[in-house]
Amino acid sequence: MVKSVPLVAKAAAVVLLAFLALYMLVPIIVVAGASLSESRFLAFPPTGLSLEWYVVALTSDVYLGPLQTSLLIAVVAAVIAATLGTAAALAVTRFPLPFSGAIQSFLLSPLIVPTIIMGIGTLTLVSVIGQGPDLWVLVVVHAVLGIPYVMRTVTGVMARSDRFTEEAARTLGAGTWSRYRFVVLPMARPGIVAGAFFAFNISFDDAVIALFLRTPQLETLPIAIYGRLEFSTDPSVAAVSTLMVLITVVTMIALEKAIGLGKAFV
Amino acid sequence: MTISRREPWLLLLPAVALLALGFLTPVVGMLVSSVIAPEGGGVTLSNFERLFGSEYYLGAAERSLRLSLIQTALAVILATPIAYIMSRATSWVRTAVLVVVILPLLTSVVVRTFGWVVLMGPAGALSSLPGIELLGAGSQGLLGTEAGVVIAMVQVLLPFAVLTILGVMSSVKQELEEASRMLGANFWRTLRHVVIPLSLPGIASGATLVFALSVSSFITPRLVGGVQLPVLAGTIYVDSTVGLDWPFAAAQSVLLFAGVILVIAATLRLGKVDR
Amino acid sequence: MRKNRMFPAIVGASITALALASCASGTPEAGGESEERPYEGVELVVTSFGGDWEAALIAGVVEPFEAATGAEVTLVTAYSADALAQITAQAGNPQYDVVHFSGGQELVAAQNDLILPIEASALSTYDELQPLAVEGMADGYGPVIQVTPVGLVYNSEKVTEAPTSWTDVLDPAYAGHVALTDFSNTYGVLSMLRVNDALGSSIDDVTEGLTALGNLAASGDAIVVASSADLQAAFAQRDIWLAPYAQDYAETLRQAGLPVEFVIPEEGITASFITANVVAGRENPELAEMFIDFSLKAEAQQVFAELMRYAPVNTTVELSDDVAGSVLAADQFDTIERYDSQKIADNRQTWTDDWNSRISQ
Repeated sequence: MVKSVPLVAKAAAVVLLAFLALYMLVPIIVVAGASLSESRFLAFPPTGLSLEWYVVALTSDVYLGPLQTSLLIAVVAAVIAATLGTAAALAVTRFPLPFSGAIQSFLLSPLIVPTIIMGIGTLTLVSVIGQGPDLWVLVVVHAVLGIPYVMRTVTGVMARSDRFTEEAARTLGAGTWSRYRFVVLPMARPGIVAGAFFAFNISFDDAVIALFLRTPQLETLPIAIYGRLEFSTDPSVAAVSTLMVLITVVTMIALEKAIGLGKAFV
Repeated sequence: MTISRREPWLLLLPAVALLALGFLTPVVGMLVSSVIAPEGGGVTLSNFERLFGSEYYLGAAERSLRLSLIQTALAVILATPIAYIMSRATSWVRTAVLVVVILPLLTSVVVRTFGWVVLMGPAGALSSLPGIELLGAGSQGLLGTEAGVVIAMVQVLLPFAVLTILGVMSSVKQELEEASRMLGANFWRTLRHVVIPLSLPGIASGATLVFALSVSSFITPRLVGGVQLPVLAGTIYVDSTVGLDWPFAAAQSVLLFAGVILVIAATLRLGKVDR
Repeated sequence: MRKNRMFPAIVGASITALALASCASGTPEAGGESEERPYEGVELVVTSFGGDWEAALIAGVVEPFEAATGAEVTLVTAYSADALAQITAQAGNPQYDVVHFSGGQELVAAQNDLILPIEASALSTYDELQPLAVEGMADGYGPVIQVTPVGLVYNSEKVTEAPTSWTDVLDPAYAGHVALTDFSNTYGVLSMLRVNDALGSSIDDVTEGLTALGNLAASGDAIVVASSADLQAAFAQRDIWLAPYAQDYAETLRQAGLPVEFVIPEEGITASFITANVVAGRENPELAEMFIDFSLKAEAQQVFAELMRYAPVNTTVELSDDVAGSVLAADQFDTIERYDSQKIADNRQTWTDDWNSRISQ
């Protein structure tokens, strides 16, 4: 708790948070409103109220298939990113390594390469060398994008944690595996969770790379939504988006109760 | 000490290998592709000649740079106080703000932008605000204006900035703040002379992330700004998917990449604080 | 390793459950057994323009086709330019059997040997078709299965007197309420050519049309949209009253509830021709040809006309009066100004560069 924060600061904080809530939420509210519209095209304010587009969203194969694809890709990519990124972060923060700075910069570099370049570069590569894009290519690219996020969060956590517990464990005779299982990984846990969460989101929400790497069999949810909006005009896209928002809010609240998600980000 | 000397390298290897495969190769491939003649065969600089000789493409590049810098600045300026509030608040407040901040990321970019099209259109709520003409709003509201693009983009960039800065800010030990207060500095002085300087590396790091994300976006600028306000990422997309001119798109990508590197190098230099 | 990844674990389990469930329920039911179905169970991958177009395709073509041949059609949504990009990238390993193009991409596809020529004898409907539908087959591309006029779309509530001329787009009465289409979309190029002709020029010199429309956009009197979805938002949210566009999408908007109407200007129309093409390098080209044949049958053509106002290319089709009144009649086909695809292909990049530099701010 912060002591003696002046009233002005507290008032300013409230104003800022209120503005933030408006800024973030109003467009989403518009989308949610449009999803309830009876009209066959996206309209706001909604003309009449109806849940039919939610029925369409939940039962139509247009979205279910791509949703499965997106979830699968995001989970696998997040797991890969979390594993590899955590391992790398643990190496870099706990051992003095030559070229440590260069190694870290290299591992963080996907963050600064515009995703459109990843998309076009990967497409060119797999079209020229391989059979063209497929699911695993997309998974690998998303995992590559996710690794820097995991590295940042895990190095952040490890940098703030104390080294001596691990030393103590080692001195007391703990083997490598036990060291990791009982000391290092639990210490890193908030960073791993936060990083994996980021990596999952980056993959799930990606529209740019999926746009370049898609095939008839490989359509992710953002692409399905994008395509649907291009060719047809109905509010089911708004319904799908609102559902995605609701599911995530519920999940995050559940995670807060279960593992104190808020603490993981600090 | 019974640590194997190979331990750190074993830990590092998988990540480095994956990045070499999945990241370096496409980027190098793109660089190579940019010097290939469109009709095939031969190394040439013709793609770059065409790029630098075109007012349209250079204009798009200039707009990308300018808007991205503005968006980055705004995102960071907003994110820093928000991150500070979050780092000093209770877990529940933090989660609530976190949920709010992350929400835009969870709606598909196209649908989220629809929300802005409604709000910024001629009949939209945003366009009816007094004084909005100062931002360039015209008969189409804020649509087709750069201000509109900036507003829509900052909304999505903010979460990245907040979460990155939050990470660093929380590591600024509260004891330092308290020590500063006990030594007589008031709340604002402490912020200015203790918290912010210590957080600068994190702020710089957040800025670089946001800049790269910003310069890479084309869906929102196209939908809110329209085809009359082209950005480089947008022209790359159109030229590669509609025009099928991959070498030329690659040349544009090289320009984009170079620009990002330059700006980031400059930002990181600014963020280095001598302790 | 006991990392706390409860969430991904739970999600992983759910996905597995979902995947298993959909595998079980997702197998399409084969129809009744029949000796006449030599392609039983064979998959045919066809590109689609999604939404209402896809619904019309399913009703008019896919269902009768599957019933007659036993094949299973998989529809994949892909815009023309995108479909061309994909089959180009897939050249060694094509993923589609039938590809639909609406913007003249069949020319490039044929030149690059990405699609196969179709013999007249392969189509049972050949003799029933308009000459315009089959002209291109000699050049190696597929027949035209749908024709949609490109004319003027207007908001019937805001515009009391329907526009009559292509040049109405330039009329100050509409200033601020016009939507032009970007040249990345074929309709943009086609409408520019029409305005250009209406101003007295021709395809060999588009300066008049390009300048007129370019200035309209640059001055802010017209907005520029890039896709059909943008056009819908333009009419629904952005107070647009007039736009040169194709009749099929105008019909989609009208059926969705927007107060729009389509009109043929006095100078005449051009049209967008949707071709169906057989992709080279796949296993069942005869099956693909059969699918295209089904699209040309009177039954399919009637469905296209009723649902999306496509003008039938099959001369034996009979339409109800209501539909016949709003669709281009068979004898009007001669009046369609069909621009030379080769000329468009050759000049499109130059026109686009010129257009871009005029309209961008």
